[in-house]
Amino acid sequence: MMKQVQKRIIILALLAGEIMMKSGAEIYRVEDTITRICRACNIPYVEVFVTPTGIFLSLDKGGDDSEMFTFIKRIKGTGTDLGKISEVNQFSRDFVSTDLSIEDGMKRLKQIAQSKPYYLWLRILGAAFACAFFCLMFKGTIKDFPCAFVIGAASYLLSVSFEQFETNYFIKGFCCTAFAAFLALICAATGLGDNSGPITIGALMLFVPGVAITNAIRDFLASDMLSGLARAAEAFFVAISLATGAGVVMRLWVLLGGNII
Amino acid sequence: MTYFLQFIFGFVSTVGFAILFHVPKRNIFMSSLVGGVGWVVFAYCRNDYGGALLGCFLASCVVGLLAGIFSRVYKETATVYTIPGIIPLVPGAGMYYTTLYLINGELSKAATTGTQTLLMAGSISVGLLVVGSFFKMHYTLTGKFKRIIKKT
Repeated sequence: MMKQVQKRIIILALLAGEIMMKSGAEIYRVEDTITRICRACNIPYVEVFVTPTGIFLSLDKGGDDSEMFTFIKRIKGTGTDLGKISEVNQFSRDFVSTDLSIEDGMKRLKQIAQSKPYYLWLRILGAAFACAFFCLMFKGTIKDFPCAFVIGAASYLLSVSFEQFETNYFIKGFCCTAFAAFLALICAATGLGDNSGPITIGALMLFVPGVAITNAIRDFLASDMLSGLARAAEAFFVAISLATGAGVVMRLWVLLGGNII
Repeated sequence: MTYFLQFIFGFVSTVGFAILFHVPKRNIFMSSLVGGVGWVVFAYCRNDYGGALLGCFLASCVVGLLAGIFSRVYKETATVYTIPGIIPLVPGAGMYYTTLYLINGELSKAATTGTQTLLMAGSISVGLLVVGSFFKMHYTLTGKFKRIIKKT
């Protein structure tokens, strides 16, 4: 009987941790949430080790006849979904302070896991606005603005369709920035926009690994060296993929006789 | 006036990112405000005071500070405000120019820009971290004071 309860607690805590990790939370926050959930179920011994690719959790109820449980959860695929992080945080606060049962908690967590991001058209509009205004922020002109608006929407749509095919992040970053840089060069060459530079920067900003960089250094300084290294490598390779994507297209453009305005 | 325009630009682009990152609806305005203010601080430092590197540091300090205050006021995690807020500061332009110099074969220029880009990325996280640890110290101190007051 006791074992069943412990098993359910482990599954609940691991699900909460998995949702947070997949949404791009920091390591210490995930470890803290899992520990709090287990402590709230009267488990005195909890040890948890979280890396960006897996969660290791072991717990012991204490007493003579209790066994120690250890579970490993593999995490695949990361993204950024701040809504889920905020909801799981709220959930763990509720779970600790009120006497929510494990079944109800499980139901609520499953609801959170299935919650969808904003509608596709709204996200495309968001990407287009972000790209266009970044273009203005980096000294783009009024003529560049509509070009960046369209290119931002197009390259975000391309990245969404790449996610459907489940390609890896390198190919995705490479193709999206190559596409955006190509369109920006065409815009500048046909006279629709003044400079291809600000437009390309605007499109690059949509894919830069800002979240990974900050999380990596925070993990390092919180002495989670393993996760810090993993995240730093992720940020580095994403940056490399973006730079090569834009770079290859610009180089080919120059080689084929165009000039970069 | 130019800085007011810069604020609008930073604000709107952060709104875009807040939508992409699925920030809860009630927090979109606040997190965009954080992003706009951070960008204005960065733009001011870059143009008139101290250069881009200091600008990144100060701007991310401001972002961290505002995020800490808002997370306290609205009972949210600070991440909801910091991640969209720092996105305008992330040096995408530095990456672009590094690539451009590499393509043209200007290696020394590429090395200079690349190093500055890396340092900017580092100073963003250091700024956030400094403010974050101050907030942590503040919470532990106030917690201790409350416990002492309760005991006496």
